Amino acid sequence: MSWLGAHLLSAVIFLPVAGAVLVALLPRGEGAQHKGITVATSLLAFLASIPLWTGFHPAGKWAFEQKSEWAPALGFSYHVGLDGVALLLFLLTTFLGPIVALSSWNYPQKRIKEYCLSLLLLETAMLGTLAALDLVLFYVFWEAMLIPMYLLIGLWGSERRIYAAVKFFLFTFIGSVLMLLAIFWLWSNSGPAGHRTFDYVELLAQGALPADRQKWLFLAFALAFAIKVPVWPLHTWLPDAHTEAPAAGSIILAGVMLKMGTFGFIRYAMPLFPHAALEYAPAMGTLGVIGIVYGSLMCMAQSDLKRLIAYSSVAHLGFVMLGLSALTAEAASGAVLQMVNHGISTGALFLMVGYLYERTHTRDIAAYGGLARVAPAIAATFLVVTLSSIGLPGTNGFVGEFLILAGTFASKELRGAAWLSIIAATGVVLGAVYMLWLYQRVFFGPERKAASHGVADLSVREWFTVAPLLLAIVWIGFQPQPLLDAVRRPVGEFVQRVSRPDAVRRTSGVPSPPAIDAAPAPAPPPGVPRLIAPPRAPAEPPVEPR
Amino acid sequence: MNPNDLHGLLPALILAGGAALLLISEVFLTSEAPDRRYQAWLAAAFAAAGLWAALAQLGDPALPLFNGAAVSDGFARVVAAVVCAALLFSCLAAFSYLESLRATRGEFYALALFSASGMCLLAQATDLIVVFLSLEVMSLAVYALCAYLRRGKRPAEAAFKYFILGSFASAVFLYGAALAFGATGSTRLADVANAVHLIAANRAPAGTGTLLFASAALLASGFAFKVAAVPFHMWVPDVYDGAPAPVTGFMAAGVKAAAFAVLVRILVTGFGDAAVATGAHGWSSVVVAMAYLTMLTGNLLAVPQRSVKRMLAYSSIAHAGYLLVAVAAMGTAAPRADATEGLLFYLASYAATIVGAFGVVAIIERKLALSGLGDDLSSWAGLSEKHPALAAAMSLFMVSLAGVPPTAGFMAKLTVFRSAIEADLVPLAVFGVITSVAGLYYYLRVVVYVYMYPEAKPGAVEGGRLLSAGLAIAGCALIVVWMGVQPGVFAAVTQAAASSFGH
Repeated sequence: MSWLGAHLLSAVIFLPVAGAVLVALLPRGEGAQHKGITVATSLLAFLASIPLWTGFHPAGKWAFEQKSEWAPALGFSYHVGLDGVALLLFLLTTFLGPIVALSSWNYPQKRIKEYCLSLLLLETAMLGTLAALDLVLFYVFWEAMLIPMYLLIGLWGSERRIYAAVKFFLFTFIGSVLMLLAIFWLWSNSGPAGHRTFDYVELLAQGALPADRQKWLFLAFALAFAIKVPVWPLHTWLPDAHTEAPAAGSIILAGVMLKMGTFGFIRYAMPLFPHAALEYAPAMGTLGVIGIVYGSLMCMAQSDLKRLIAYSSVAHLGFVMLGLSALTAEAASGAVLQMVNHGISTGALFLMVGYLYERTHTRDIAAYGGLARVAPAIAATFLVVTLSSIGLPGTNGFVGEFLILAGTFASKELRGAAWLSIIAATGVVLGAVYMLWLYQRVFFGPERKAASHGVADLSVREWFTVAPLLLAIVWIGFQPQPLLDAVRRPVGEFVQRVSRPDAVRRTSGVPSPPAIDAAPAPAPPPGVPRLIAPPRAPAEPPVEPR
Repeated sequence: MNPNDLHGLLPALILAGGAALLLISEVFLTSEAPDRRYQAWLAAAFAAAGLWAALAQLGDPALPLFNGAAVSDGFARVVAAVVCAALLFSCLAAFSYLESLRATRGEFYALALFSASGMCLLAQATDLIVVFLSLEVMSLAVYALCAYLRRGKRPAEAAFKYFILGSFASAVFLYGAALAFGATGSTRLADVANAVHLIAANRAPAGTGTLLFASAALLASGFAFKVAAVPFHMWVPDVYDGAPAPVTGFMAAGVKAAAFAVLVRILVTGFGDAAVATGAHGWSSVVVAMAYLTMLTGNLLAVPQRSVKRMLAYSSIAHAGYLLVAVAAMGTAAPRADATEGLLFYLASYAATIVGAFGVVAIIERKLALSGLGDDLSSWAGLSEKHPALAAAMSLFMVSLAGVPPTAGFMAKLTVFRSAIEADLVPLAVFGVITSVAGLYYYLRVVVYVYMYPEAKPGAVEGGRLLSAGLAIAGCALIVVWMGVQPGVFAAVTQAAASSFGH
């Protein structure tokens, strides 16, 4: 048990690979068995990840940490571990895994084996990206995500799938190769020859690089992550990829992969280069707000169901970017929560749209109408998901958006924060407009072409996929506190490090002890609403730039 | 002669002995239509023995041979191991190819073994005359191999072009060696290095400097031709296209490894003095310029290619560019060990990938030759439906060439570009990775055809002789994945080899 305890995280990460090996060994043509193994493995991975949640101590540094040799001659190690932020996204991934696998039971008509392999390998790559604490390990998983996703879009997508798949791959690849060079630069400046490291924890503890060196490194990391988020104006691959991808691909793409970009900002780009992050925070916030407004307006102009939801992702992730750039504990924890929320609600939206598409074979909104009468269960669940996406109080979406807007409004680090949050708040209204309008056009009114032949309601299998998502929506809506508790420490450290970058300045090559550990966050006084994170601990007196 | 000298040459001797044995065995074939299948297995066995010899010597200390005319060091042993492994897999792939075309003749495997022994010697040579002799042993055999399928225009054109231009490059090299001899009175690289040190210290006789630098330029040009660096790359597409696919794979892996080894040996051992290598007028800046040109030309010209063989030819130019990045990094003030390690790792990774890729191309080419289809990407459409394993292997090789993890190509890219960043060649590294994005585009196009387009003209690859080609492809795929997932084993070897090189 102790061995398993020490390797639990790795076991969860590589469980899907074990499933993939099983799938690969089974002969072609055993579609049901392939799919069964896929569902079982991803379900097992989810069950195995539950102890990660119950055994997680929010006050600890890196939970479930494991470090072992990988390629000492090349200078990198296998180092994994979770903080609160990564844990939430990790659980989101394992949670969506079986849902995705089960939802696409009837979808792939050909090459079922390859489909199952892609799903399983993709899950491992995503889990590894979240858990990695070594920059090379992170990069390997980060790029390994591309191949199965590329295959999912390109093999099982709709008409323009090849265009969308290649565009997706090229866009993300362009961003990440420069990040790779920045990683090498970090490595070659991490110490004398022979003592260099790719280890994230060690690099972080070494303190920030000289401020003038950070700019290009930050931009190289930020480009990779901004393309993935995607931040306006780098978003153009997203509508194509989402529209052409099969439902499972869309759910994973929206549910987890986009969050890798924002996760990259909060984990790597901003803490590693705090001076540059502080300098570029207004730009990030502005781009986020542009994304919110632009995405919302684009949603109103769409006639394609999936394209509309894709643009709504641009808007929602604009909120996350705004929350990260505000550099307050409220906004940043709201941003993390919003990542999880977006994964659940948009994942659920793509799931429902996928079910509609399976029944009607059209994504054209104009072909829908009057579905509420033929398929009341679909209509009801879709309504809950819609409301969650809008951010109605009582659903998960509300908590995240509220924290982001309130936290940004109060931000002192971000110039023009009040204006940014006011403009962003219009996005909430616009969101209600386009989502409710979509709901009205699809479910109310006269029965149009798509509904005219009758649409089967949710089957038992489909209920199994929808119900957990609905539960999560309502549960987080009423009980966000455990999630916020989990992220409090990493978010507090993040905010402190980036908003007071001079406190972590590196002193003449000697690795300084991490300044963030010097000031443990005090427990919140009783009576203060715990939604608001504790006041920032007094930092070391900022050193005047020389 | 010292018996140790022969021991140091063991890989090359084994290969040459195997070649001689194959030629002699021809005499004993008596029947009208002799069965020559044994030759492939014999050649593969000798390649495996050479590989074993190179690996067995890996840990030994560096050993000068024949009074300093050659050396047996870790660097040469790794190159010899790469060459032998490439030969082994190429022989297996060639067996299926030649048998199904009924084109097995006595010379093929003997020529391949001779060229491989030349490659091993090239990596060991530390005397310009020995370099020239080994170069000719390698080149003449490869010219003949290119023309092996002599029916049809393209093989003849390929071999002729290669022969003429290759002889020209050899002549350029020889002229450089003559100049070096004129300046120093010796053809040993060690003597050249001494003269260079004197020049750097301003204690050399007047005029020696000019002669030596002219000789360095000529020597390097001769091998820039062999490694397919721009502007010496013109021959590559036609030769790669015209030669039989297994030969092309062996050529891309082996000739490149040997030529890079000797190029680096001449530049670092002979002209490695910091005053000569670094700075605005050092050879490093010339190599940097060549690397820019090579990466740009190779990647841009590969984009419009419709023939997979031609695309791989241009991609081979692009990869020469990435390797030149490592060579350029060796000429800077940064420690050389990391760049040398990167170069060796890259050569090994590229060899495994390209031999495997040409193994698949050989199967497809054979199918095309038998069915009379044109050599176009469209004939790859829908490969995954009939041959999922072939399709998966080809996609793996393409992804590895593009440098996407978790494959060998990514780890190779990591080692090379990391050494470039360490050597402060940041613009070059940025340029390199951006051109590699163009590379991703044309490599992915093969994957698109293989997986995403329906089969254009139904027709499976037939024949019961695919077993050995399958072995070769599977072996290469295994190495590609292994180097990508567990690079530590290979990196430890290349690191040890690199640490003893260039002192």
